[in-house]
Amino acid sequence: MMSEPVSALKVEKLRKTYSNGLVALDGVSLEVAAGRFFGLLGPNGAGKTSLINSVVSLARPDSGSVEVFGKDAHREFREARRMIGVSPQEINLDKFLTVEEVLTYHAGYYGVEKKKAKERAEELLERFELVGKRKQRVSTLSGGMKRRVLFARALMHDPKLLFLDEPTAGVDVELRYKLWEYIRELNHAGLTILLTTHYLEEAEELCEEIALINDGQIAAQDTNAGLKERYAAESIEEVYLKVMGRVAGG
Amino acid sequence: MLADRSFRTLLSREVLRFTRIWVQTIVPPLLTSLLYLVVFGVALGTRIQEVNGVPYLEYILPGVALMSLITGSHMNSSWSVFDAKRERYIDEVLISPMSDLQIALAYSLGGTLRGLIMGAGVLVVGIPFVGVTVEHPGLLLLIGVLSSFTFASLGTMVGAMANRVDQISFLTNVVVQPLAFLGGVFYSVEMLPGALRTATLFDPIFYMVDAARYATLETSDLNPYPTLGIVLLLAVLAFTGAWWAMNRGPNLRY
Repeated sequence: MMSEPVSALKVEKLRKTYSNGLVALDGVSLEVAAGRFFGLLGPNGAGKTSLINSVVSLARPDSGSVEVFGKDAHREFREARRMIGVSPQEINLDKFLTVEEVLTYHAGYYGVEKKKAKERAEELLERFELVGKRKQRVSTLSGGMKRRVLFARALMHDPKLLFLDEPTAGVDVELRYKLWEYIRELNHAGLTILLTTHYLEEAEELCEEIALINDGQIAAQDTNAGLKERYAAESIEEVYLKVMGRVAGG
Repeated sequence: MLADRSFRTLLSREVLRFTRIWVQTIVPPLLTSLLYLVVFGVALGTRIQEVNGVPYLEYILPGVALMSLITGSHMNSSWSVFDAKRERYIDEVLISPMSDLQIALAYSLGGTLRGLIMGAGVLVVGIPFVGVTVEHPGLLLLIGVLSSFTFASLGTMVGAMANRVDQISFLTNVVVQPLAFLGGVFYSVEMLPGALRTATLFDPIFYMVDAARYATLETSDLNPYPTLGIVLLLAVLAFTGAWWAMNRGPNLRY
């Protein structure tokens, strides 16, 4: 008899109220199957980043539970966090470090041994065309270059679940396509990906399953094709407008 | 578990930070301390013959070294944590598999090392210049480590709690510097009138300076061993504060 496959991410009845009284998450439940390319869409302030932050314990939820590959994100935080990679929306690179150091120090924070970290850094520097910049301080890089470093950093400790929070914001078209190609390749190799994006065509192109979030609640969730069918829509953009319009209209 | 690879990496990052900007972090404070020795010790010292039977320049050396250590330790961790928080790269550390205890300890020990380098720097230059031998080097090291750790922890706490740059400079200019000046670096409490003498007993830096002076010159206002207990207690309190702040500080985990 086969045991039930473990979800990469299982969020149950998550509620998060900020100190100013804003309810960012209003009982969100979400399950992302292992190996899935999952999209989380919604307008600004819908709760996307709050959800990610609650999983990685940057935000403290009021109630609810989070499991990452069966590990409780709170009680077994070391195991859970080790499996997660985050490429955040805002660039937050350690300004005292060089490109190469950003990668190797990150690996160290996740307990990856030095030799392995060096090999992995080499691989990612090449992959993201950063070899020529390796000795350069990150603070001196252009925006697009910083974005690449951010992305490579998230992959340094070989996460099993990758959060990409608006990864292509402010990125030129060429890099965006390269990133897409690489993300897809990673997903095919088994990495579970949760993507938040404002570019709906990006979500349509990449994601197998999509959840729409608004006002801290999941408004709709299905496979890419399932959503289009359910809302008699030609594109995810149309689904998005219908769902958000319906929500806005009460 | 506490000193695992994650922790050691953050600690080595802290050391890398201050050694990389050594022109800013190590040279100016060292120069300031040496100026104290020259100005207070040599210039004024010719007018003040001895304190408690010790030549004035010798008398102030341990305190000046300790002042340098305290300045280095608290500034290192307060700025490091505050900078990381202001530019949000502290998030990388907060979402890593490290516990808040490990994070607070790594930042505090980074500051402790910087403080020890600053204090040792003053002694290395000052000892041949003044011409003393350290009476109890082990005890001096112990006092140095505990004092440095106390103020590095205080720095970690303030860095984690601060929302604005001026709160960091408040710690340096309004809290630490006055306490250091009033902590008996340049005089013996015996020389003070009664009320000021009592007030000095509430200055934590006084205990550190006094114990360091005993360890170096075997002269002090208080018995050094109970003093060591007070310094140890201060270290524990300050680090508890740092740990709490790393967990509860505003805009860290919200």
